[in-house]
Amino acid sequence: MGLLTILKKMKQKEREMRLLMLGLDNAGKTTILKKFNGEDVSTISPTLGFNIKTLEHKGFKLNIWDVGGQKSLRSYWRNYFESTDGLVWVVDSADRLRLEDCRQELSALLLEERLAGATLLVFANKQDLPGALSKEAIREALALDNIKSHHWCIIGCSAVTGENLLAGVDWLLDDIAARIFTAD
Amino acid sequence: MGRKGAQSSFVASVTALRTVVSCLTDMDIREPDIRSCGDNMVNVFDTDEEHFAVSSSSAADTAFDGVIGCIEDIIMEDDFQQLQQIFMEKHYREFDDSDENKLSYTPIFNEYIDLLEKYLEQQLMERIPGFNMDTFKELLMQHKEEVSGDIFDMLLTFTDFMAFKEMFLQYRAEKEGQCPDLSQGLVVTSLNLGGSKHADFNESQ
Repeated sequence: MGLLTILKKMKQKEREMRLLMLGLDNAGKTTILKKFNGEDVSTISPTLGFNIKTLEHKGFKLNIWDVGGQKSLRSYWRNYFESTDGLVWVVDSADRLRLEDCRQELSALLLEERLAGATLLVFANKQDLPGALSKEAIREALALDNIKSHHWCIIGCSAVTGENLLAGVDWLLDDIAARIFTAD
Repeated sequence: MGRKGAQSSFVASVTALRTVVSCLTDMDIREPDIRSCGDNMVNVFDTDEEHFAVSSSSAADTAFDGVIGCIEDIIMEDDFQQLQQIFMEKHYREFDDSDENKLSYTPIFNEYIDLLEKYLEQQLMERIPGFNMDTFKELLMQHKEEVSGDIFDMLLTFTDFMAFKEMFLQYRAEKEGQCPDLSQGLVVTSLNLGGSKHADFNESQ
């Protein structure tokens, strides 16, 4: 590890966390990010690169990274794994056709060594849509109960209305904080 | 004769002893002698002479402070800024002032950190005889609590992606004349050319 990287790790503020938000394209990652940050979410176009927001929540400084989810971009996800405390996996609950694709991508991520220490939050997004599957159905489709390697939780939410976004992030923060900051 | 011989052998052994002592002293003082690296460095190691009996751990502390001072010197120098300039000149066209970041920024960012780290290490090795980055990193971990202040804040900004992006956007804005710069001042003074000087030039032909 280089000098600057070591310094960064050492000086990382006690109450600072890095969250990585991933998921298939059109899942609603950027909308969640912007909604959570209090920005307008009426005109959001597909992310071709990545977005970063830094915000304060419950006394923590959150660095949230949102990387585009199109198939051609997924091989770049690995460049953003380093130092991730929490992985937010966003699912379009109405996109039944791609649930298997969604399950495979998630299970591949959970094998990644650099994400081994991260807490997993699954957002079953778009609960406001009439055709949306419940969070229980998503939980089954993604075989979440088989996950033994990570702390995880699934929450049904709507990025557009903002419903349950806070509840999800609160759970994530509590889990990470309990894991990391009480260990010292 | 016997007495004289004893005396001379005594003198000889004293001289030998002195040589040994001075060698030892020299060694102890020379080992951390890093005078090539700025004033603070010299001060740090000069105090070693007075506290000859200090424990080796505080000698390590002093050496640590010396390296920190040296890093401070390095990043304040023109060469370092030139290194950054050359890097920005090479990549600035890739950066746009939009909220979303391109995936291509990330490898450029990694290259930047790598460049600065390698430069720092190379400079430290040139300035501090026997400098070893791995040893220094270990010292750094041991000094975890004391590691604070401007120098570390500055080093940390090198690893901050948003600060990195901002630096490029600013460079690009300056490059493309979105910021007022001195060259505009020069344009104004050129009014003189249109007058008498131009006429003089014609006359002399």
